[in-house]
Amino acid sequence: MLSSGQIAELRAAVGADGLLTERAQLQTYECDGLTNFRVLPGAVVLPRSTEEVQAVVRICARHKIPFVSRGAGTGLSGGALPAAGGVVISLARMSRILQVDLANGYVVVEPGVINTQVTERVRAEGYFYAPDPSSQSVCTIGGNVAENSGGAHCLKYGFTVTHVLALEVVLPSGELVHFGSPTLDGPGYDLAGVFVGSEGTLGIATKVTLRIVRRPEMVQTLLAAFDSITAAGQTVSDIIAAGMLPSAMEIMDRLAIQAAEAAVHAHYPQCGGLLLVELDGPCTETEALMREVQALCRGNGAWEVRVAQSEQERAVVWKGRKAAFAAVGRISPNYIVQDGVVPRTALPHLLSEIDTLAAAAGLRVANVFHAGDGNLHPLVLYDRTVPGQEEAALDLSYRILHLCIENGGSITGEHGVGKEKQQALGAMFAEPDLATMQLVRCAFDPDGIANPDKVFPRPRLCAEKTGPYVPHPLETAGVAEFF
Amino acid sequence: MAMAASETLAQCLARVASIVGEEHASAAGEAICVAPANKEQIAEVLRLADVGGLCVAPVGSGSKWGWGNPVRPAIRLGLGRMQALREHAWADMTCTVEAGCSWAAMQNELQRHGQMVALDALWPERATVGGVVATNDSGALRLRYGGLRDLIIGMTLVLADGTIARTGGKVVKNVAGYDLQKLMTGSFGTLGVIAEVNFRLHPVEKDRLSCTVAAPEPAAFAAPLQKLLRWDLSLSSVQVRTGKEQCALDIALAGRPECLAEHQQRVKDLLGEAAVTEADEAVWQARQRLFESTLVLKVSVLPAEVCAVSSDLQQWSAANGMEVASVAQATGLMTVALQSAVDRGAELVEFLRRRVAACGGSAVVLRLPDALRSPTDIWGADPDSLPLMREIKRRFDPHRILNPGRFVGDI
Repeated sequence: MLSSGQIAELRAAVGADGLLTERAQLQTYECDGLTNFRVLPGAVVLPRSTEEVQAVVRICARHKIPFVSRGAGTGLSGGALPAAGGVVISLARMSRILQVDLANGYVVVEPGVINTQVTERVRAEGYFYAPDPSSQSVCTIGGNVAENSGGAHCLKYGFTVTHVLALEVVLPSGELVHFGSPTLDGPGYDLAGVFVGSEGTLGIATKVTLRIVRRPEMVQTLLAAFDSITAAGQTVSDIIAAGMLPSAMEIMDRLAIQAAEAAVHAHYPQCGGLLLVELDGPCTETEALMREVQALCRGNGAWEVRVAQSEQERAVVWKGRKAAFAAVGRISPNYIVQDGVVPRTALPHLLSEIDTLAAAAGLRVANVFHAGDGNLHPLVLYDRTVPGQEEAALDLSYRILHLCIENGGSITGEHGVGKEKQQALGAMFAEPDLATMQLVRCAFDPDGIANPDKVFPRPRLCAEKTGPYVPHPLETAGVAEFF
Repeated sequence: MAMAASETLAQCLARVASIVGEEHASAAGEAICVAPANKEQIAEVLRLADVGGLCVAPVGSGSKWGWGNPVRPAIRLGLGRMQALREHAWADMTCTVEAGCSWAAMQNELQRHGQMVALDALWPERATVGGVVATNDSGALRLRYGGLRDLIIGMTLVLADGTIARTGGKVVKNVAGYDLQKLMTGSFGTLGVIAEVNFRLHPVEKDRLSCTVAAPEPAAFAAPLQKLLRWDLSLSSVQVRTGKEQCALDIALAGRPECLAEHQQRVKDLLGEAAVTEADEAVWQARQRLFESTLVLKVSVLPAEVCAVSSDLQQWSAANGMEVASVAQATGLMTVALQSAVDRGAELVEFLRRRVAACGGSAVVLRLPDALRSPTDIWGADPDSLPLMREIKRRFDPHRILNPGRFVGDI
């Protein structure tokens, strides 16, 4: 726990109105979007400036107090779970857009700015900020940077890291450094590239320079109803094989459709596999490609193919998709969202394996996925009041992640490892891989006070040496050498 | 770094030969050239060097050997035997390739399925994947597809102590663990030896056309270029070529045939129907041709400054009686070559650094005559993150055996 002296130091750093220590107040911060992990922090600070963040981090560094930075707390892997008795640094009050440079295509924001606010600020000038996690109306840029957030449109536009040009960062020592620049390829290591997605373990971003993208001339969104996920998946493969790069390709299965319909009435057709394809670009090109996509859908047995006829209709289509996680609450009292990735071609196989596992566990799994890049979000449905069902659901969700690894994929495409998937990271990477990542961790944070005991399978000390080479688990499994 | 006093060249040669086979280890002056067959052999050679404190320089074809500060290695670790395209998962649009594979050989293989790594590297016939990645090279395609940081999805690397580590993976979307491939890209072989790289792929640009428009000075292009980049055209590449009293704006369009004609017309409407002529694809070799000069810089400016900086450079060189040519990509990355009075190269370097400092840019010397080497600051940068970069280097390579001194801040 924090001593009264430490609390006093924190109060001096952020002011009395920037410090929370009452139990009831602290409880607001005891978890993020992954609510089955809860830890009460020792204090929460709400700095208003880089200088205040630095002051707080210096106090933490001096006393070796663990700290966890936090945006809106929408993360789904427990990345913002407090360290017991440590300090939570909420960036919510640092929410200004500091600079907009349209000629050079970038904006500079504080970490507490909400994702959609960036687009709102530049929309009238014909630009947008591309990464669009489903929580984009509430999640913050600081959190997006920590998690390297994706979204439905990263198939074409890339991830948060693609759009981060520069960062101002408070290191775990309290020192202020700058990574990257609005100009490309500045001399030195690409520390901005390493920092994005480091889940708060390397420091705190206090300013973020984001690339903004010109709005496409035209956006078209298509819905196609198939009898099976396999047929929808085949269409995705055919679209890619035809050399097209849609901005998004999403698939939902019957359960997910039911849930979305119950929640937001998106007028989705009831079918075994619903495919959503969004194309954007110059008008003539987009129209030509959309005709090709429609033909491919029909060729794979789509019995309803519908192109949204207005911006409003498009918005409804997306509302259903983006609300899918929460909507599952309509058809199940509890659920677990997972975030695995497999090579796109392994999707059909993986889905049938998931079906088998789910049947064996006696549980239902709703599937929503970014099909274009093989990123699945299986939603494991369960009822906490039924004894043993939560454990079975957790077990099933981890088994799905292992299936992803076995199929040459990853345990997370956009939600991060956080607290939830620490052990799974150890299954995906071999010891030397993790030890090498740890070299970076230790260079940034030798005392291990920034978001400790996250991401990596177990707490490590910076003095630990790397071990000898051992075969990668994929290699042992015969997966990595299949060429 | 010379050979360790305790060990003669012959002894060291015998030891590396026992790892890679005699025919793949040889003495060349004071250095040993060694060509491992696989990552395990790289690891063994590095372990030997690490224990002996021997300086190692990883080398592909050596096409960019002079880039960065000079290094005198005891061991030249050649990747020439590691040339395989290990996997081309064309339906997933990814590939895994060994670091010693030439850029062109890789692209030729990928092309069989109509795919490519969407990056036009310098000297593709010679340049190797490892070398392109280590130096973070990129060309005109960067406007559309991004740089290596956007195209590399995984990597296998060998650290100075022989640790073989994998990072990233074979899927495009993946946030598991730290993104070490970003750290390695552009690190000039100072953190580890890149053994294999996993790329995401794009379809080859089947339908593509290039056009060009000339003008006496690049400032004339500033306004139309801004406009062009704000339109939603099927732009693949845009560059401004500047020489003495002349310059050109080159535009490549790639997309569906039915759109190309329309987009070309829009370009003509913007720049003047009569002024725009069809260009040979060879215009996109202009950047590479600049490397025929003995003094070449990579300059990075804000995208909106491209024409202004090109113009200022043109005027400055005329006023100072120097012949300077430049190729600037619309992304803000420029290649600048001094084509006369090379002995006055320092003046050019100084001018460029002063000019780009105002917009937070950088100017790195890639090629220069030996006579100018020692007084010239190659990197010209002193970022506030340098102590952290040095700490990363210390953690990765505590005995400083990998390309010591090559990088920024003598890392």
